[in-house]
Amino acid sequence: MPGWTLALVEFASLDWFWVATFAIVMIVCGVIFYKLGKRSESEFFLAGRGLPWWLPATSIYATHTATDTPMWITGVIYKYGLRGIWFAFFCAWCSVSAFVSTRIFRRSLAMSQAEWQNLRYSGLGSELLRGWLAGWQTFMNMFVLAWVSAAMGKVGTYLFGWPHSIGLVVFTAICAIYVLSAGYWGVIMADFQQGIIAFLVITIVSCWGIYEAGGPVAIIDKLEALGQSWRLNPFHFDNEFPFAWFLTMFIMATVGGIGMGNFIDWYPEAQRIQSARTLRDANYSIWAGGLATVFRNSFWAIAILAFYVMFPGITNQKEYEMGWYRLAFEYLPVGMIGVFFASILAIHLSTISTHLNLGALYATRDLYHHYINPNASEKRLVQVGRFNTLLLLAGCFILGLTMRKITEWLIFALWLQAAGIWIPSILQVIWWRFNSWAYLSAWVANLVMSWLVVWVLPALGVIPKLPEYQQFWMLAIFVALVYLPITFLTKADDMDHLVRYYVMARPWGFWGPVRREAIKRGLIEPGMGNDKKN
Amino acid sequence: MGLFRQHWTPNCADEWTVHDLLASLFSVGSYMFVGVGTMGALLLRVWGFVALAVGIICILLMYLVIDPKLRAMSEAFAKRQQQYLEHIDKATRWEK
Repeated sequence: MPGWTLALVEFASLDWFWVATFAIVMIVCGVIFYKLGKRSESEFFLAGRGLPWWLPATSIYATHTATDTPMWITGVIYKYGLRGIWFAFFCAWCSVSAFVSTRIFRRSLAMSQAEWQNLRYSGLGSELLRGWLAGWQTFMNMFVLAWVSAAMGKVGTYLFGWPHSIGLVVFTAICAIYVLSAGYWGVIMADFQQGIIAFLVITIVSCWGIYEAGGPVAIIDKLEALGQSWRLNPFHFDNEFPFAWFLTMFIMATVGGIGMGNFIDWYPEAQRIQSARTLRDANYSIWAGGLATVFRNSFWAIAILAFYVMFPGITNQKEYEMGWYRLAFEYLPVGMIGVFFASILAIHLSTISTHLNLGALYATRDLYHHYINPNASEKRLVQVGRFNTLLLLAGCFILGLTMRKITEWLIFALWLQAAGIWIPSILQVIWWRFNSWAYLSAWVANLVMSWLVVWVLPALGVIPKLPEYQQFWMLAIFVALVYLPITFLTKADDMDHLVRYYVMARPWGFWGPVRREAIKRGLIEPGMGNDKKN
Repeated sequence: MGLFRQHWTPNCADEWTVHDLLASLFSVGSYMFVGVGTMGALLLRVWGFVALAVGIICILLMYLVIDPKLRAMSEAFAKRQQQYLEHIDKATRWEK
């Protein structure tokens, strides 16, 4: 079979056939759902709130899987053995969220997290918070788009020797076709196919890697021969990977599931929660999407152990991070390489489509519709949604072409800057007295203090360079010193507003005064004999 | 109040009960045991198959505990959803 000689892999005609078929199916998907997407703002951004649980669940799984995810997980498993799986355990926030914050958020019916701030809080602080979150999310989605597109540019260069811009622009542009035409309908339907393809191919490639290493028994024997059998124990703790690190991740993930907005993944998942047709569908979609992610990580982990016994002793992080990709490109049979590359495209497009539509949601619903034109017609809102999608696409290309390295500060921006708002994001869900000024001050304090704790103070020698889990707790405490006094120094939110929110969302936690007021007004019935508590 | 209670009135289903707490705990358990169990099972370790079985049992228990409540709550909320949506447009409107 004729083939093309490429930088790393050799594609046969059959491989190109798989890639072309996949791209065509995705574009056709957008065309098919064009009519549904253009009906209203709610259809363009939430698919009319009518999806059965398994559609958003597949989308959650697909969105949690980006082109750089296998590199990151390969890196931690290669370095730490099976205990490295706990680095990826933050997705367990879905396990608790499914039965707490998902329910509360779905009941609020807010189209976005920024809109929820308006429902939860009242007054000027609420408006400032909505504007801030809308602007932040519009920018962050563009930023993530640029980051992920740049990663695809790298993959194109690595595999085929293409110029960086080809991989960056071409595939993101393909994705934009169906997002522009069908909005969230296009995203969710394409994600369904992409999620299934990605799940199957990840499973097949991982099993293939295990087989190439000689099978499970051979992997264990080789690890013992190398004196590395500790790598088989997911609960092996030492100075390099202390129990405190595991505990921090476990608490952060599970307790964090009570809150809203404390993980970057919350924002796309919030859109999926609202697109589910019922409360029950919303709960199961989050739960199942998260579990599929955990299941996927386990397959990856064992495949990386297989890679380790085949190539032990690699010390260059950039080299061993490509381990899982190498298993596929170096060991899969002819014809399967194209399927594998199509699955990389699936992973890439699912992330891109999500952030294109989500960024446009914040720009349209929370900025244009809320502040600029509250009386806009549904037709106008869909037009603006498409225009904003195009703006995000243009911004993504400009940022992506200038962003060549996935540097340390990017990781910092995405993860560590969230440490200080982790507790406030929980408090705003469970405590009636926590107000918009407190949450705003937590955001501002966190932006300042994260730079201090992570960069400035260690550089000045005031504090040593701390492990990430210690930075997390230090930030949580420092930021609390700002927002807790502000909570008590400023007024509680308007009781009428709180009662309306409580009756609709029925939040869990310390809502006693609001609940009693709602009962007094006859808006809810006393139940379960717990009305004198809190 | 039985753990596997089948019949919920809308008012009772709207309340937070021990069923929600148990469902969350079983849910966390299912993630941990399925994650660790899948790794162990792929290595053909006995502990892997045992952990995977425990994870599946957690899923089953979670479903039995919470699903009747979720169904009742969902049905009641769906009836009020349209009214709430109209309220949101008014309540969150930006007044210059």
